[in-house]
Amino acid sequence: MVEWNFLAVFSDFDLLMIGLSNTLKVTALALLFGVPLGLVFAVMRLSTTRPLSMAAAFIIEFFRTTPPLVQLFWFFFALPILIDVRMTPFIAAIVTFSIQSSAFFAEIFRGGIQSIDKGQWEGAKAIGMNYRQSLQRVILPQAVKRMIPAFMERSIELLKTTTLVSTVAYADLMFQANDLAQKTFRPLEVYTVVAVMYFLLIFVFSQLSIAVERRLAQSGESTVR
Amino acid sequence: MTHTWDFATIIQNWQVLWVGLKGTVLIFLVTVVLGLAGGLLVGIARYARSRFLNWPAMAFVEVFRNTPVLVQIIWFYYAFPILTGIEVNPFLAAVLGISLNTMAFSAEIYRAGIQSIDPGQWEAGKAIGMTYNQTLRRIILPVAIKRVLPALTNRGIEVFKMSTLASVVAYVETLNQAKLIADLNFNPIEAYTAVALIFFVVLYPVVQGTYVLERILKKGD
Repeated sequence: MVEWNFLAVFSDFDLLMIGLSNTLKVTALALLFGVPLGLVFAVMRLSTTRPLSMAAAFIIEFFRTTPPLVQLFWFFFALPILIDVRMTPFIAAIVTFSIQSSAFFAEIFRGGIQSIDKGQWEGAKAIGMNYRQSLQRVILPQAVKRMIPAFMERSIELLKTTTLVSTVAYADLMFQANDLAQKTFRPLEVYTVVAVMYFLLIFVFSQLSIAVERRLAQSGESTVR
Repeated sequence: MTHTWDFATIIQNWQVLWVGLKGTVLIFLVTVVLGLAGGLLVGIARYARSRFLNWPAMAFVEVFRNTPVLVQIIWFYYAFPILTGIEVNPFLAAVLGISLNTMAFSAEIYRAGIQSIDPGQWEAGKAIGMTYNQTLRRIILPVAIKRVLPALTNRGIEVFKMSTLASVVAYVETLNQAKLIADLNFNPIEAYTAVALIFFVVLYPVVQGTYVLERILKKGD
């Protein structure tokens, strides 16, 4: 029978808390850059200028069909050879997850924008708005509301994907767990505690997104998935 | 700084990548079959009225959906053997992590599919004397599975990408082999670009196929 001993884990719990805050930091920064970039890709893809929409389609499909771990390795090991930059695990993580999630956000934005009735575009045009104004003032405010559930689901996926940064030695929660498991020789307790930490964190966000979705359903908004 | 691309070393080492690709396909097939088949059982249990079926299924789904796959793989590799005394090799750890995760996600897809079927279908099954199991198997599931087919293929695509995570516990798959080539030939840029291209070339047609499938199903409904 296994004897569980959590003492070693909890005496070094601050190590895990540092990891947790780094995990949240990477997630937040990737969202900060990924969401606007996703909007740009979506608008490009919906553009009637063919080269523009094809370029956006290629970027989106490429980042959606290649594994995030491969992208991370590429940005971390390969990009510094191509362009002269000092790559740190942190920068590689932010760049990878911003672009990767922007590809998914772009599709959410596109779905949201396309779900808006054509009459809204025509109405905006009729009162003299140009494309940009219609998008900004009429279409997006309605589309964004419909996108919120899909958007939150993607953000939770992103939070889970950030565990990959541990493979390029960025000190996120997963990396700190590996570190602590080696130091304490207590992999069972360390990895179990970390799994529970991730579970609680993600579970809270999931429940929150379910609550928001219910609230939106009440206000009569269909959801785009 | 200008870099001259040189794929010669990659082409010389194509057999190394080929071994990796076979490893990727093997783990993909095992996890996708286990994940989608197991998910169906969990999904049915999740839909069942009996609490003894419903609650464990719900707990399973929530635990595996709300933790990262990498954490699951690592847990099965390092923690699970201590707990059970079962020896776990990289392949088994990755298979356990990825297929249980896929089971949880696909269970929710199946459940949504079953729930989307009109209650009248259940009543009709009952009216002609079918039991719950018969109605489920002969009337509900064939329609429900057809409806969720696009979501299931999307899951399959996710599983294919997820297989790269097995490299973290040193299972021999494409990314792991690319790492090997990169370390030996000092050419990470070509090695990782090659892997990205391999995945893109394999998955792009599949993704396009899913769009076609979605359109066909929409027409049929």
